[in-house]
Amino acid sequence: MAQPFLEVSGLHKDFGGLTATNNVSFAMGRDEVLGLIGPNGAGKTTLVRLISGILRPDRGSIRFKGKNITRKKTWDIVNMGIASTFQNMRPFRRLPIIANVMVSCLSPRAMKRGEWVKKVEAKAMDALEFAGISDMALEKASTLSQGDLKRLEVARAVATEPELLLLDEPFGGLSPAETDLMAKSIARLHKGGRFGRLHSEGPAMIIIEHKLAQLMKIVDRIIVLDFGNIIADGTPEQIVENPEVIEAYLGEGEI
Amino acid sequence: MGLLGVYFRRTVTILRSEVLVLPSRIAVLVFIVALMALPLFTQDYYFLRVLILTSIFAIFAASWDLLSGFTGQMNFGHALFFGVAAYVTALLNLKLGLPPYFSIPLGAVGGVLTGLVVGIPCLRLKGSYLALTTLAFPIILTGLVFAIPDVTGGELGLAGLSRLTGSRVMDYYLTSGLMVILGFAMWKITDSKTGIILHAIREDELAVRTSGVNTTRYKLLAFCMSGFFAGVAGGLYAHFMRLAGPSGLEVGLSFQVIIWAVFGGMVTIYGPIAGVFILYPLMEVLRVALDSFPGLPEMRMFIFAALVLLTLLFMPEGLIPWVRDKVEIECPRCKVRNAFNRKRCRVCDAVLD
Repeated sequence: MAQPFLEVSGLHKDFGGLTATNNVSFAMGRDEVLGLIGPNGAGKTTLVRLISGILRPDRGSIRFKGKNITRKKTWDIVNMGIASTFQNMRPFRRLPIIANVMVSCLSPRAMKRGEWVKKVEAKAMDALEFAGISDMALEKASTLSQGDLKRLEVARAVATEPELLLLDEPFGGLSPAETDLMAKSIARLHKGGRFGRLHSEGPAMIIIEHKLAQLMKIVDRIIVLDFGNIIADGTPEQIVENPEVIEAYLGEGEI
Repeated sequence: MGLLGVYFRRTVTILRSEVLVLPSRIAVLVFIVALMALPLFTQDYYFLRVLILTSIFAIFAASWDLLSGFTGQMNFGHALFFGVAAYVTALLNLKLGLPPYFSIPLGAVGGVLTGLVVGIPCLRLKGSYLALTTLAFPIILTGLVFAIPDVTGGELGLAGLSRLTGSRVMDYYLTSGLMVILGFAMWKITDSKTGIILHAIREDELAVRTSGVNTTRYKLLAFCMSGFFAGVAGGLYAHFMRLAGPSGLEVGLSFQVIIWAVFGGMVTIYGPIAGVFILYPLMEVLRVALDSFPGLPEMRMFIFAALVLLTLLFMPEGLIPWVRDKVEIECPRCKVRNAFNRKRCRVCDAVLD
């Protein structure tokens, strides 16, 4: 049997007396877009941070393309092809927007994959173009609005040309119009192809989101977390009808 | 002749299009020309001595800015690099008889190794924890210096190093020339791709890691580069003073460099250099001026502190960025800096407010 693209087994993380993820196990395929939902404090962000290497698990393992990445450094994981964005945006505020993206373009992975690109700035510009904020490339990141900061986060992650993209609330704080635009960008990215000097592998994605209506449109499968446990795993249609999910998170009524 | 003509024309073009268009660059040019021409007008022994020490400390202050200003690794024990390099230089000169042009670079290598020794345990530390840990290193080394007086000369230090060059004027040209070259090199580093990553580490280290950049490597690089430049300053100081002693490791020197850098303007490289060129000679002027009044010479530290505090109260970013913002304006469109009297941007022709 072929190796799963990403395989998480028995992942456990405690913060003092609080269990953030409790023996979480799942696997995903190369072309999947996976939604990760659940109430606040369910352990979604912790799970994503464990995969991206920002946090170290107490137990369990993570395998990416058959390789164990459980205790690898964050930058090694990014250079293997897993990029992530932050729920609370973390731009380099005093640097111009283009320099924010250039840092990602200067990572070993991006440099190796774009060695035919003469100037790092050009590649960074294409990432900004993709995210739709290239017209503000020279402004300081501190001047950006909430929506544009989300776009900058995506541009930074995309610039490393990942194969797996972990998006933590990409629609958070965005207006309905901005949310639609972001959803379209994400769908376009998943299709793959070339954006100027930037190449998209059509990354698999794990998306944490509370705006379920938009999420349902772009994901193939949803995992529901509650108190660190997986309470449901299935297609969007199966999830909305799951009584346990309705009780723990969705409630009655329309999404 | 043809080749010389090409270089001459190229120099004139760069001067006209890159240097003479901005007040700050004109100021740097005037400063360098004045520095180089000064011995033609005076060769006063004491005056040159003050300027030689100023140049040495300017290299030292800029090296602090490279590590603490640009990379955000707050170093409260920067004298360590200076002191270690001074001792290494002195030992190489006295024990092995190496001349200054060998002992100073090797002393700077000592500074690089010290950067590694300090950098590795400090990798996980931030903010005040980092500052306090770095503060401890020179204090520990001072204890070591006193513990092995046979090697380090103990309290008296190692004296009798060979002279830097044969004459005071040559000493002056060597130190001021090195200050200009090394200052430019540090500025180029901060302006490079490595510089962008160092900047970003100061802003948010975790975000740099999730961008796929090995921050450990870059932080150690910053420690080593800063150690190298501070080491050159330490080696020059040892040969010029013909002495390497525990005073080079003093806490006072570590704080002095922070005052110079903060006064001149952090995160600029040229700010700390200007800070030293204003404050160091000023202390000498105050000392001479107050010497004739009984009881007043002790007041010079008070006057110095008051001056620095007042400057920072009105210019929180430091003196040089404040002056630069007065004489230059940023183009709202292409972000290029322009002289304050221009109506339109020199690059994109946008209207300047």
